[in-house]
Amino acid sequence: MKNHALNKWVLQRLSAIVLIPLLLFLLYSLVDLVNQDYTGALDFFDSYLSIAIFTLFLIFASTHLKLGLGEIIEDYIQNEIMKGILNKIIMLTSAILPLVGIVSLIIIIL
Amino acid sequence: MEKNSGPLSPHIQIYKWQFSSLLSITHRMTGVFNVAGFFLIILWVLFLAIGPEYYNFYQKFLKSFVGKFILVGFTWSFVYHMLNGIRHLAWDFGYGYEIKTANLSGVVVLLSSILTTFFIWII
Repeated sequence: MKNHALNKWVLQRLSAIVLIPLLLFLLYSLVDLVNQDYTGALDFFDSYLSIAIFTLFLIFASTHLKLGLGEIIEDYIQNEIMKGILNKIIMLTSAILPLVGIVSLIIIIL
Repeated sequence: MEKNSGPLSPHIQIYKWQFSSLLSITHRMTGVFNVAGFFLIILWVLFLAIGPEYYNFYQKFLKSFVGKFILVGFTWSFVYHMLNGIRHLAWDFGYGYEIKTANLSGVVVLLSSILTTFFIWII
């Protein structure tokens, strides 16, 4: 149990550190992308760097949000049944969101 | 009443506000908010994958005043969470615990989050 909590603590921080450069790159790109039309946006994924950064962002952000939301549930929800339901929702969300993102990315590249 | 078997976090309705606790709860709130921002990003690639008609519809919304407002809001939320996260990492390594330092780093985080958002969108 103790090790499990420690693993979560470490993973939360490691994912945070990895996310710093990824987030900066994406925020900066997204501002430009808002003004791009469909072809311009597709061009963004012509570069391997963009694809790699975007994929890593999906994986690490979903890991980070799963741990973070789980911590909030742990702190504020007392009812065990409710806690279980919310944790299931978080688990599903953190799996489905990056999956949709990666599948979309594959469709875009192909 | 629920049986309370564990320690409880501050009940924010009756908690006496301090600058440090305000920044701390903002960290959590931006964290939750960022999940919605993450969802918007996923939606963006999804629409890009589906086709131009969906993408253009979404982009038209994002370029509107409300859309821009939402985007700038999310940008600040992401940047604040990131910068305050770095502050938390410094604490994890044992630095910056003195009240003076902690308050100063808090001010720095708050101001730089606003400046960075401005920098990303204007410059």
